[in-house]
Amino acid sequence: MLRFVVNGRVVETDMHPGTILIDFIREVLNFTGTKEACREGECGACTILVGSLDANGGVSYKSCASCILPIGNVRNCHIVTIEGVNFEKNLNAVQQLIMDNSASQCGFCTPGIVLSLLGFCLNSKKFSYDDAIDSLDGNLCRCTGYASISNAAKGLSEVLREKNSDIEERVNVLVSSSVLPEYFLKIPEMLTDISSVPNGKISKDSVIVAGGTDLFVQKPEQLQEAKLFFISERKDLNYIRQDKTHILIGGAVTVEEFRNSEVVNKYFPAMKDDLLYHSSMILRNRATLAGNIVNASPIGDMTIILLALNALIVIECKRGGTRELALDKFYRGYKKIDLEKCEIIREIKIPIPKGNYYYNFEKVSNRKTLDIAAVNTALLMQVDKNGKIGDLRISAGGVAPVPLVVQNLAQFKGNVLDNNIIRKIVDVVTEQVTPIDDIRGSAKYKKLLLKELVAAHFKSFY
Amino acid sequence: MKNSDVKMHVRGKSIFVDDILPPEGLLHAVLFTSPVSKGKIKRLDVARAKKAEDVAGVFTWKDVPGKNFIGHVVLDDQELFAVENLEYIGQPIAMVVASTKRAAVNACKLIKLEVEELEAVYDPREAYKKRMIHGKKRVLVNGDTEEGFKRCVHIAEGRADCGPQEHFYFETQRSLAIPMEDGAMKVCASVQSPGIFHRHIAEVIGVPMHKVELEIRRLGGGFGGKESTAVWVAASAVAAKILNRPVKMVLSRNEDIATTGKRHPVSFDYKIGLDSKGNILAYDVDLYQHAGACTDISLAVLERSFLHATGSYRIQSVRITAVSCRTNIPPNNAFRGFGVPQAAFGIESALLHAAEVMGVDVNLIKKKNLLRDGDSLPYGMRPEKINAITCWDELDKKCNFEERISAVDEYNRENVDTKRGIAIIPVCFGISFAQTALNQASALVNIYVDGSVSISAGAVEMGQGVNAKIALIAARVFSISTDKVRVDTTNTSRIPNASPTSASTGADLNGMAAKMACEEILKRLKIFVAKRINHDNPEDISINDETVYLKDIKTDYRWEQLIKDAHWDRTDLSCHGYYATPGLYLDREINKGRPFSYYSYGTSVTEVLVDCARGTYDIESIDVVHDVGTSISSAIDKGQVEGAIVQAVGWSTIEQIRYEKNGKVLTGVNAYKIPDIKLCPEKFNVYFLENSSNPFAVCNSKAVGEPPFIHGIGAYFAILHALRSIRKDKLVPSLPLTPEKVFMYIHEC
Ligand SMILES: Cc1cc2nc3c(=O)[nH]c(=O)nc-3n(C[C@H](O)[C@H](O)[C@H](O)COP(=O)(O)OP(=O)(O)OC[C@H]3O[C@@H](n4cnc5c(N)ncnc54)[C@H](O)[C@@H]3O)c2cc1C
Ligand code: FES
Ligand code: FES
Repeated sequence: MLRFVVNGRVVETDMHPGTILIDFIREVLNFTGTKEACREGECGACTILVGSLDANGGVSYKSCASCILPIGNVRNCHIVTIEGVNFEKNLNAVQQLIMDNSASQCGFCTPGIVLSLLGFCLNSKKFSYDDAIDSLDGNLCRCTGYASISNAAKGLSEVLREKNSDIEERVNVLVSSSVLPEYFLKIPEMLTDISSVPNGKISKDSVIVAGGTDLFVQKPEQLQEAKLFFISERKDLNYIRQDKTHILIGGAVTVEEFRNSEVVNKYFPAMKDDLLYHSSMILRNRATLAGNIVNASPIGDMTIILLALNALIVIECKRGGTRELALDKFYRGYKKIDLEKCEIIREIKIPIPKGNYYYNFEKVSNRKTLDIAAVNTALLMQVDKNGKIGDLRISAGGVAPVPLVVQNLAQFKGNVLDNNIIRKIVDVVTEQVTPIDDIRGSAKYKKLLLKELVAAHFKSFY
Repeated sequence: MKNSDVKMHVRGKSIFVDDILPPEGLLHAVLFTSPVSKGKIKRLDVARAKKAEDVAGVFTWKDVPGKNFIGHVVLDDQELFAVENLEYIGQPIAMVVASTKRAAVNACKLIKLEVEELEAVYDPREAYKKRMIHGKKRVLVNGDTEEGFKRCVHIAEGRADCGPQEHFYFETQRSLAIPMEDGAMKVCASVQSPGIFHRHIAEVIGVPMHKVELEIRRLGGGFGGKESTAVWVAASAVAAKILNRPVKMVLSRNEDIATTGKRHPVSFDYKIGLDSKGNILAYDVDLYQHAGACTDISLAVLERSFLHATGSYRIQSVRITAVSCRTNIPPNNAFRGFGVPQAAFGIESALLHAAEVMGVDVNLIKKKNLLRDGDSLPYGMRPEKINAITCWDELDKKCNFEERISAVDEYNRENVDTKRGIAIIPVCFGISFAQTALNQASALVNIYVDGSVSISAGAVEMGQGVNAKIALIAARVFSISTDKVRVDTTNTSRIPNASPTSASTGADLNGMAAKMACEEILKRLKIFVAKRINHDNPEDISINDETVYLKDIKTDYRWEQLIKDAHWDRTDLSCHGYYATPGLYLDREINKGRPFSYYSYGTSVTEVLVDCARGTYDIESIDVVHDVGTSISSAIDKGQVEGAIVQAVGWSTIEQIRYEKNGKVLTGVNAYKIPDIKLCPEKFNVYFLENSSNPFAVCNSKAVGEPPFIHGIGAYFAILHALRSIRKDKLVPSLPLTPEKVFMYIHEC
């Protein structure tokens, strides 16, 4: 039995936990305001909010694509559809701004846009315009051309900027500012009341589901019949902290949490912007680092970054206990990984770089945002006081059957970085790649592009 | 005045086809389609699918109660279900109907098909060589090009190609068919052509049209993609008819991308000649339209490309040929602009080439040759008031072209890593269906005894705001609040034989019909009031702000009371208005005539920044002056301009369809990328041409749905401008200019 709150009402169901949330919302609950326009997480028409109890007894809300979200993943959560943000008579502030700016034409994308903007209202630290636009990076619209939507977003950030931006007070502030209906205040209590302890145990034939953003695009039908184990039930895996030598990331951490983590940004300030090129807000809010790693796509952005950072993974073994291995040892061939059934990635460890170091990430895709790369690459380089190269790691995606870590870079240790050396490094990289023609581009393109992107790494520092 | 639907959209309360409460006993239909681009069916075995769980029926052409044809113009040109010949991947062969969609999808997998595969053709030029064409090749000659070229100092000759575009309307193709009493059928569907689809439904289920009611509330986007191909609507009606149960068919996004028609790619061979001063003396162009397996609406699209081949320019002599090539891909169909964007791309490509040959800035040639008052077009029409140069000058005043072009050139001289590009694009777009017969519309206006007004028209609301415009026109005629006016669904029982809502004419035609009906009722009301107060001249009566005036003096007689009394006095409060655009004709033998009622003009300037190392680019700014006449709703018109332009930016840049060798579409929704909010230009300024008026359309407005689309090709030409500043030793890449093409242009030897 699964229980959650949909809008203002407790809902219980015995349906298979792999049932897709949008089907449940539209077909079982008859809330038809949530639209489906792609069923692959690509368009945002199906955006809803998912709120879950946080450690302080409040509820934290994230915008998510409901078309690839299994209901098992929202146990004990507050699901907010467009019907759940309507006031009886008037429009809420977001709706009113969309109306005032004519930011809706056919209207099919509109409920999703309203909810993504509400996600912005609930999460943005300072209500900046940039945050508002970032919150919409997964919401396509074929009609408006976006100018009017940007204007609505601008209006919203201006209206909110005058309000108290304290995150703890956020729901109260939004309720008193006619952004959210009043019943939101009662949700923490409702969620506490319905909270049940999940009894899911992992077994040989369970499929491990984290965000589901790969799984529920790849085989949604099968999963609606399979035995599922939800990583979201492992509350103990949701942390980012550091010890003396590593940044430690729990196996349930999402890309968006990682992107906004203070610890991460302390050592890698560029990460916050880099990861805006990873999928979109409504996916990053669910997609996990571990899922990206295990999915083993040769082009996974998170994986490529983690490889350059020389990350380690801690795996929970079948019979208890853990084992730890370097991420680059994890990949054994196209989609072949060192992970047995029932094993879980429990933690990802990023060594804290020492001394003077540079990190950079490059990605080129057909559409700049919300698109899979043709080629991506990351670099981490230590440079000593005299400008000599220390440790150098470069990873590259889209150019080999596995996410690639470039070998033979140790030879450059001790050299002063100049154009000549850069050229040699580029050559060493390109010798090791074997791209193929596919929908992301021709082999020739990818090879030439990688060359430029590796050179671009070095340009980004000087 | 804004789009009246928006208030429901933002609350998630608007009802689209798939949101209609499922009727009792609803079944779901799924198509089984051709896996090959060309072949013959050798054996088709549906027995196992029929027996599968939850399946209500599996149907093929043999089961169709009426005709098995749904050709748009030529009826027998397209079979609903393939009988023997397969002409494209995705062509319907059979249909499975089951109690859930999943059961239907699963049962589809049990159908056994054996085909003899034949050699398919995917290249329009190759098809042309093999004489695989639709209709006839069109030829238009105006003046003597041979003579013209002799007088030219500069001649550019070459080839240009533009690619397809997926509509990506947010709401995919869908339909719900519900059997009614006495063999009748009600169909709720997401389609743009009430009249034609109404006929198709009646034909395939084999009943007279009066037994079919097609109801259209709104579309989640259309853009032309729901104008002609009737497969999904017809199929669901067939299933409902046979099973006597309600049947719904909803395409998944990937089915929609893989099997529906696209914008027509066109390949051009051009030769253009200019004199030493830069006047275009001759233009000779051959258009090869990539039409796909059936005629569908391709010949109409071809005609529009053909008639617009000279773009916004005056050209002394032209020779234009155009041919629709039959290839083995899903039949391409209408898409916003209807062949005009392709034609504009052709002439702009030729001009760019000519400018390079001459060694001058292309914009000088453009301006010099822009259409001016008194000019006529190759098909002999002389437009009344040509605003091409007015729009150009007005934008120039706002943006200062010369300054911006030299700033770009300067930037490019000083920078190696990034390059800027700029393009100015003029627009001249003929309004009216080139098919004269389609230029008619009707509207039904009802006033109820409580004073509320209901309007039904042939126009279909798909986000373009036609309903809001019609409501506004009616409210103006009666001088009542728009809250009193509701535009009802488009329904074939209320409005018969309606033309498609397309060619940007929706508001022009239907708005005019509604206006005429309202005016007729207003006349009746005035007569009634005059009689009631014993005043002999009804013309002294007027209504202002819901109050009756006599000789401009306010009375205390209010709208509600007036309507109640008028009805009691037996005044007819319902009226059917009918409008047909006057003065249109086109002689297709000689290709001369007056096919368009008027023209829509505009000019835009697009600026881009190209990142040379990565091959990526940003659209930095787009400024536009567009001629919308006297706008009925500037909020709606602005949205149309912005939306059309960004859609065209997508076509010009990242929207790319890749096919497998066997013709299968490879780019599903995870790879077919339409513009997102971050691709949209940071600076985007849309201005309407000031003091523009238009006696040829309702309330002096101008149609706005399609013409601004042309501006968006500025993205292609601006990127190209940046690329040509890097090197000129290569052929110009085709449209769309994807980052891959940009990169390869710069980096490949
Ligand atoms: C529209 C769209 C856009 C995308 N864009 C990008 C992009 O730009 N860049 C990119 O890199 N990816 C992208 N992705 C892919 C996807 O979002 C990422 O790979 C994501 O990180 C996967 O994480 P998840 O938690 O959703 O994985 P899931 O789908 O839940 O799982 C993926 C795999 O990992 C396994 N798994 C998950 N967690 C664990 C664990 N803790 N231990 C062991 N096994 C586990 C699962 O069993 C499954 O095999 C996109 C996906 C979509 C749908
Ligand atoms: S339907 Fe497109 S993202 Fe969910
Ligand atoms: S309004 Fe139609 S898709 Fe956005």
